[in-house]
Amino acid sequence: MTDFLPTLLTLASEPVAAQVGPVGFAALKEVSLSAPLAAWLIPGLPMLGAVLAVLMAIGGVKSKLPAWTTVLCLAGSFAVTLWLYLQMRDAGAAYTTVKLFDWISFDYLPGKAFVANFSLYIDQLTCLWMLFVTGLAACIALYASEYMSHDVGPGYCRFFFAFCLFVFSMACLVMGDNLLLLYLGWEGVGLCSYLLIGYFYAKPSAVAAAKKAFIINRIGDLGLALGIMLTFVHFGTIQFAELLPKVEQYVALATSGNLAAVPASVQWIAVLFTLAAFGKSAQLPLYVWLPDAMEGPTPVSALIHAATMVTAGVYLVARTMPLFQCGAVTVPPDAWVLPGLVVPALDIVVWGGALTALLAATIGMAQFDIKRIMAYSTVSQLGFMFVGVGLASSYAGAFHVFTHAFFKATLFLSCGAVMHGFGGQLDLRKLSGVMWMKGWLVVGLAMLVGCLNLAGFPFTAGFFSKDVILAEAFSNPHQRVVAWILLVTAGLTAYYTFRVFFRVFLGPKSFEPGDEAHGHNDAHGHDDRAHDGAGHGHGAKGEHGAKGEHGAKGEHGAGEKGAHGAHDQAFQPHAPGWAINLVLAVLAIGSLVAAYAYPTKWVKGLVEKSSAAAVDLTGSAAHAPATLLGMDPHEIMYYVSAGVGAVGILVAFFLHYLGRKTAATSRADAINLGALQRGAQHKWYVDEFYDATVRVPLKVLAHVLHFLDKVLVDGLVNLAGLLPRGLGMSLRPSQGGELHGYALAMACGIAVLALVALFSLV
Amino acid sequence: MDTFLSPLLLYGACALGGAGVALALPKQKAAPFVFGAILAAAAFGLVMVLLGVASVRAMSGSGDASGGQGAAATARLVWDALPNYHFYIFSAIALGSALRVITHQRPIYSALWFILTIVSSCGLYLILQAEFMAFALVIVYGGAILITYLFVIMLATEAPTEESVEAMNVYDRVSREPVIATFAGFLVLAVLTTMLAGGAKRLELNPAFVATDAPLALMPARVEKVLREAGVMEEGERLARMPSASSRKGEPVDLRTSVAADGRPGGELRIVASDGKTVRVLPLAQWPEELRLSNTERVAMELIERNPASIEIAAVVLLMAMLGAVVLARKKVEMDEMAKAQAAARAREGGELSGGLGSAAAFVPPSVGGNT
Amino acid sequence: MIDTTFGAALTLGQFTLGQFTLGQGDLPAPMSGITLYHYLFTASTMFVLGLIGFLTRRNLIVMFLSTELMFQAAGIALIAFGRFHMNQTGDAFVIFVLTVAAAEAALALALIVLLFRRKETLDGQAWASMKG
Repeated sequence: MTDFLPTLLTLASEPVAAQVGPVGFAALKEVSLSAPLAAWLIPGLPMLGAVLAVLMAIGGVKSKLPAWTTVLCLAGSFAVTLWLYLQMRDAGAAYTTVKLFDWISFDYLPGKAFVANFSLYIDQLTCLWMLFVTGLAACIALYASEYMSHDVGPGYCRFFFAFCLFVFSMACLVMGDNLLLLYLGWEGVGLCSYLLIGYFYAKPSAVAAAKKAFIINRIGDLGLALGIMLTFVHFGTIQFAELLPKVEQYVALATSGNLAAVPASVQWIAVLFTLAAFGKSAQLPLYVWLPDAMEGPTPVSALIHAATMVTAGVYLVARTMPLFQCGAVTVPPDAWVLPGLVVPALDIVVWGGALTALLAATIGMAQFDIKRIMAYSTVSQLGFMFVGVGLASSYAGAFHVFTHAFFKATLFLSCGAVMHGFGGQLDLRKLSGVMWMKGWLVVGLAMLVGCLNLAGFPFTAGFFSKDVILAEAFSNPHQRVVAWILLVTAGLTAYYTFRVFFRVFLGPKSFEPGDEAHGHNDAHGHDDRAHDGAGHGHGAKGEHGAKGEHGAKGEHGAGEKGAHGAHDQAFQPHAPGWAINLVLAVLAIGSLVAAYAYPTKWVKGLVEKSSAAAVDLTGSAAHAPATLLGMDPHEIMYYVSAGVGAVGILVAFFLHYLGRKTAATSRADAINLGALQRGAQHKWYVDEFYDATVRVPLKVLAHVLHFLDKVLVDGLVNLAGLLPRGLGMSLRPSQGGELHGYALAMACGIAVLALVALFSLV
Repeated sequence: MDTFLSPLLLYGACALGGAGVALALPKQKAAPFVFGAILAAAAFGLVMVLLGVASVRAMSGSGDASGGQGAAATARLVWDALPNYHFYIFSAIALGSALRVITHQRPIYSALWFILTIVSSCGLYLILQAEFMAFALVIVYGGAILITYLFVIMLATEAPTEESVEAMNVYDRVSREPVIATFAGFLVLAVLTTMLAGGAKRLELNPAFVATDAPLALMPARVEKVLREAGVMEEGERLARMPSASSRKGEPVDLRTSVAADGRPGGELRIVASDGKTVRVLPLAQWPEELRLSNTERVAMELIERNPASIEIAAVVLLMAMLGAVVLARKKVEMDEMAKAQAAARAREGGELSGGLGSAAAFVPPSVGGNT
Repeated sequence: MIDTTFGAALTLGQFTLGQFTLGQGDLPAPMSGITLYHYLFTASTMFVLGLIGFLTRRNLIVMFLSTELMFQAAGIALIAFGRFHMNQTGDAFVIFVLTVAAAEAALALALIVLLFRRKETLDGQAWASMKG
């Protein structure tokens, strides 16, 4: 314990590369668990939860029962994950496979087979991932039990069905033993994301957002499918246990500087997987769906679009790190543009991540909807994660994933509580001083913890994880620009995060109710029944009653049967109940505790004992560590990023806290950056750009094809109908109905036949 | 030209005849029937002349007409062939009447010309030594079928109105597509005649070449009677029966027929003398004329001996036809609306002949067109 | 010989009537000039005339009369063949032809009477309602 602080202060004093030594796949040994099939409970229990939710929907359950079953199932899944982790922890650098049943397995040539079974591949990376996935899922399910409680009935069951199905798919994705099962999970999480974003299916904007998410994910899925096919074509197998050893030979080529010698079909696998990861994890250019995905209920945003689904891309890169190490885009030497250029796949990942981080941060600075700001911050932080894995440091990326999951979930859930309590109000110009309102303290504190993590305040988990990435970036002499971009982005992140906090939670108390104030908006699902106490738990149920201000039915009761419009003056925000507060507290504490993972090198140990560890980073052509300000980056990164973060927080403090009298105004309004500001507010017009370059041409093409279809295809088909008709019409006159006509025809026929007979009797 | 019956000439004759018949058929404008008939007759005559000459050559053996005797020999040959004129006359009348049947504009005359055709066919049958058939033809066809036709023509004639008493119906006056029909028909004829000639090589001549009198064996009483009347068989003699037969009365006569190598017939009857043992042979040359079977008897033997079942079936067919005709003709028939209107119009305009067929609802017994 | 490309008709060349000679037995010579072919020619001509009459005339009765003409022609041919083969098969067949012709005439005429009653006309073209 005495060397705890010094250990903390020397930030990873040795470069990650020269450490323990990533094991390389060949060094992983296979072990077996004490009860292998129990590992299948991890996906199995969520599936059970999904089935139960469906049954309850069929049975017409109108209580919160689906939520409790879901929480129980997910908690059970978390427990099994814990057990699994404990089993694997002692095994060291090992993996195990647990097969449930043969799914696809056929021999297409003697000696060659396509095998993709329902089996799990479990190593340390898997355990790490599943721990936070199942844990967060259980917590957020509990949160959602209250958040969605005004919607009990079929909608409630539908929500939890999709929720459980999502966790099942995520488990398949993370724990799958082969790429096909990963793809199954990939698609499954995409599907559940669509179902959940479009949960309020009566709202056109929600439906549009769901479609947008699904379609853009699909673009990425194309990359994944092609990559899997290419993998199979080249390596003959898609099971990780067999695949990864085969890649080692190419990795050796790559790290010895001979990347161009790797066969093109192997190089392209990683590039295609990059496309897939960018689609799923909302990076440039496929990030546009994530901000719109905030149309879904907040628990969905928290779980899927902050913690789990969007990290699937990072997981893919981490899991197939050997492939990424030998991936590249190679321009043939005889091309007439950029001949001979070799762009390693990891470079694409790094640059994509960095640019996305910067872009999203700039957009986030100019938005007013707090959930949107959090969404853009997710995109930005994902960029950080990708830079981490792109620097061949799966540890950096995975650690940031781990910490980000906790604090981003906290942030989202806090925003959700605000939204829930203020009738859907999310504009930071209309809310102020929430933390000082009665019953909102827990929310405010949780928000504060999350913001500190996000901004990288010293000694928080976010601080450590982000700094590992920054240090890694600065250490790499080839990626200086990326490193500076990231540093600037960190400053911007701190600014906009605390902008939100200072505007919404601190300052003078004022609020305006949102559009979803009671009963106005059907999508929120309020109805008269809720006021009677069944759903919201007003008064009689005591949840709000315990907080005191709604104890009597008075305020709501005054207008409950009458015009709800009169409520505006009488609107009172209702503070969150026990479930929300509990979850927020747990997550906030969790994100604080996660900081402890750094000095214990817990995550690092896990990642490096798995296949995700990049093999042989040192290599002869590896970088000599670069310096930052003349000193080793790993040592001073701390202070640099702390300084940058402090600058950001101070600017936000100055602009958004000091001298603010009302919710709507602040000193920031005096700054007018003109076109820059407008551009950032309009998200740099990316959506409009896509619309013009992709959607409009497609629409024109669709019209053209429609025309062709009508004229050509239908025309052909109609011709097929017209021909017999025409033939019939032309033959019709021969059927005159007259006996003589027929007889004459017969006689002529006889004459012809006779002639033929005459001349053929030669 | 060497060849009088080359197929080209046949075709030419058919074309000519076709043109003639097409001209002869009734048309909208005045039909040049006479002209057409002459043309057709010319064609027919041409063919007949050709056939006649060819038959003369066949009779005299081919090829020696070109030799030596010149005009005199040819004249003799033609004179020898003259008795064939019966055939030519009957044939000409038959075909001429047939032409008139199909070209006359009034149906009643068509039927009458048809009777003439029957009569000339009867003549042709007589030449062919089928007397019974000839008379059967006249009796059945001319006496029964044609009479029926005449009755129906009477029944089914529209009642003439006052202004159009003698007018013919348009459907009688105008024939339908005469040219194509004639062309098709004569095409068939050309092919038929050519192929008939060509098929001659495949005809197998009856080796017997002679109408056998074998059925006489089954008519012992007749044979005896004729022989005794002719005085060939004496009293006390009797006919020999077949060797294996017993001596009962109904056993076949011992009659032996034979055919000589050149096709001449031969035959023998055996007569047993009164003493019961001596057998005398009566050769064909000494048979009385009356002994030979006539056509009637031959046809009878043919029918009963060889086609007994067909006779029964024919009887059934006739019965069915009779019943059918009775049932059909008894049916009540509703008249077409248009026809009713026409009949009503005619009735209004008067004429005592026009009323009968006008009332449709009640059963109209078959009657002559007009009030009964 | 004439060119054979025109088919069987010409390759028959000129044919002799020798094979058509009717058997005479011990009948006197005068009829020996007429061969079977003569009768067949007459019969086929009469047949074709009947066919043409059937096709061209519109009056129902004349149409059926033409069919009777065709029966006649067939009869002539049959009798001629019977004579040619010197047996009575042809004669027996003609008996049956007469039977059938009689039956057919009876029924056809009954039908004609019915048809006439329905439409008051003997025009064969009046019954064209089965027009396609």
